[in-house]
Amino acid sequence: MSSTITKLNAPLTQAFDFQPSSEIQLTPTPTLNSLSQRLAGFDTLTSALEYAANGTTGYNFYDAKGNLRSVLPYSRLRANARALAQNLAGFELSRGSRVAIIADTSPEFIELFFACRYAGLVPFAMPIPVNLGSHAIYVQQLRGMLESSQASIALANLDYISFLEEAAAKANHVQWVGTPGKLSEAPSKDFNILPNLPDETAYLQFTSGSTRTPRGVVITERALMSNLQGIVRNGLQIRPTDRSASWLPFYHDMGLVGLVLAPMVTQISVDYLATRDFAIRPLQWLRLISRNRCTVAFSQPFGLKLCTLRVRESDLKELDLNCWRAAGIGAEMIRPDTLRNFAEKFASAGFDKNAFLPCYGLAESTLAVTFSPLGEGCKSIQVDSKTLIDKKMAARLQADGRKQNEFVNCGRPLPGHTVKIVDEEGQQLSEKMVGSVLVQGDSLMTGYYNNPEETNKALKAGNWLDTGDIGFLFEGDLYITGRRTDVIIVNGRNIRAQDIEELAEQQPEVRSREASAFGINDEDGTTTIVLVIECRLTTVTERQSLTTRLQQLVYMAFGVNCVVELVPPHTLPRTSSGKLSRFAARQGYIQRTNVSSQLSFVESGDR
Amino acid sequence: MTESNYNEITSLLCDRLSTLTNSNIEITPDTNLISQLSIDSIKLLNLIMEIEDTFDVSIPINALADVQTVRELADLVYKIKFAS
Repeated sequence: MSSTITKLNAPLTQAFDFQPSSEIQLTPTPTLNSLSQRLAGFDTLTSALEYAANGTTGYNFYDAKGNLRSVLPYSRLRANARALAQNLAGFELSRGSRVAIIADTSPEFIELFFACRYAGLVPFAMPIPVNLGSHAIYVQQLRGMLESSQASIALANLDYISFLEEAAAKANHVQWVGTPGKLSEAPSKDFNILPNLPDETAYLQFTSGSTRTPRGVVITERALMSNLQGIVRNGLQIRPTDRSASWLPFYHDMGLVGLVLAPMVTQISVDYLATRDFAIRPLQWLRLISRNRCTVAFSQPFGLKLCTLRVRESDLKELDLNCWRAAGIGAEMIRPDTLRNFAEKFASAGFDKNAFLPCYGLAESTLAVTFSPLGEGCKSIQVDSKTLIDKKMAARLQADGRKQNEFVNCGRPLPGHTVKIVDEEGQQLSEKMVGSVLVQGDSLMTGYYNNPEETNKALKAGNWLDTGDIGFLFEGDLYITGRRTDVIIVNGRNIRAQDIEELAEQQPEVRSREASAFGINDEDGTTTIVLVIECRLTTVTERQSLTTRLQQLVYMAFGVNCVVELVPPHTLPRTSSGKLSRFAARQGYIQRTNVSSQLSFVESGDR
Repeated sequence: MTESNYNEITSLLCDRLSTLTNSNIEITPDTNLISQLSIDSIKLLNLIMEIEDTFDVSIPINALADVQTVRELADLVYKIKFAS
């Protein structure tokens, strides 16, 4: 559908120009809108789109070579989404039924997402397969999400439809699987599109690649609108001259909420590059920013690292990045060095280090929790390592020469949100004391879909969300020092220890509760995943076969290498309730292998 | 003709992989990229970029889900480049 859209959208002079090639020259949507800007403040997503559709701005999609491939102005998005909503209505599903969509960076995904909202259905984005040899595990992960969400309809573009059909074959609730093209040919039903209500669910966001216990965050229209308003008014102070560029996947909260929905509720244009194309040639993202004079672009620290590593010195000449006023950084713990290296490399291309905008957030709070002040760059604090470990306190470095740790200032909570730090008993801690980061506010999820057990673990009394992160407050600003041991971050990916252990436990040789996974950090900040297995196998061949298989499975599921250690039964430490303690397992591994430089303050035990 | 194209792809892949992974094992069409070469995500990106630049093709991300060995990768490149 979108190829027709783009042709229809091409300026007449070009569309009727005689050209030897059949390719029609596309024009991206403009930065300056014909419509006066409204900064969020809508009550639902569809009412925001109804407004944006009156203007000339919208979404633009570029290919790996930097050529504009399709253009989707908000006006077209509205028309297409409303048409597809009629097709969805033909299925006669009850309001709030879930629709699964494999989210590649395409106009079709956004059209389907909004079509669901117009039809009163709840969309959710599923990932695309990114790892070598991941076919079987990817299909299992899709099936896990289809089952956990009890999705009625599942959609994917041609490239991914075969994976989806395979996954849906055994998922009982799924009534219909197809491509957007097939959906547009399905019998439609004329119905009056009803406005959505703020208390209705806007979408689900899956946060874990687990096949057994996927967690679908439930976000209401109200929570979404509240978070978007905070982001665009307070965090970014969006203005009519802004334009975004993004390579972030649409199936991540930062990609979807931050770079698809936030631009739409402020009616600004966005230029997209597929994640894969960015990862292979990060220069293309910087070129887009430079060429289209983009002002707002976000990345995980890992994305900046890729730019620093892979962009050649000779490429810098063609870049002019001084238009980039807000370089948002989030989604994983920020190391000041990553930002310094990037700023140093791209200073000659006009990058202003004051554009760095460290933020903190998570899908369970829609997206954003804190923002640092605009235009001030990355601020950090140096604290004494010994006090940090011994007293769990962040004390400013008093004398030179002492071992120190540096943490990035992630700023203050958005209006309507509060952050507090608590100890292991849940008691609130004073400033500078390190503990669990809890968040309260208007953007919180109502829970994980159909998963009361996980919901109760995350949402504490008084509707405080336990983020799973460790940090401290100083002069009202939030500093993150690490994750608890249940999440391992490798190359920008959040991997749940439980998901790795679950893979191991699916092997016939491994019993449940006999696998423990955790991360080990090198001096340079690289994280390695360690998987310790209690193992009864005695022959070298059998042990080698298990080790190789586990490494392969972890790679296919998460795209990372891991160290597998086989230990005799009863080696792994257990808590009084018989649960494995990852924290203690990690300490044990460190002792056995003599990895001395480990920082032990970042974890405060298991969840 | 086609066979020599195929062999050219395979030998170039083996060659690039041995430089990239810096390993001592001899790389053959049967070598498993994951379990034997433990190729990480950055190395994989480098390899794909080199393949795309050398053969002037675009490797679709969905196809990599079915690639585990050097042969499977060579088949994929060959299919994209010369088939259809």
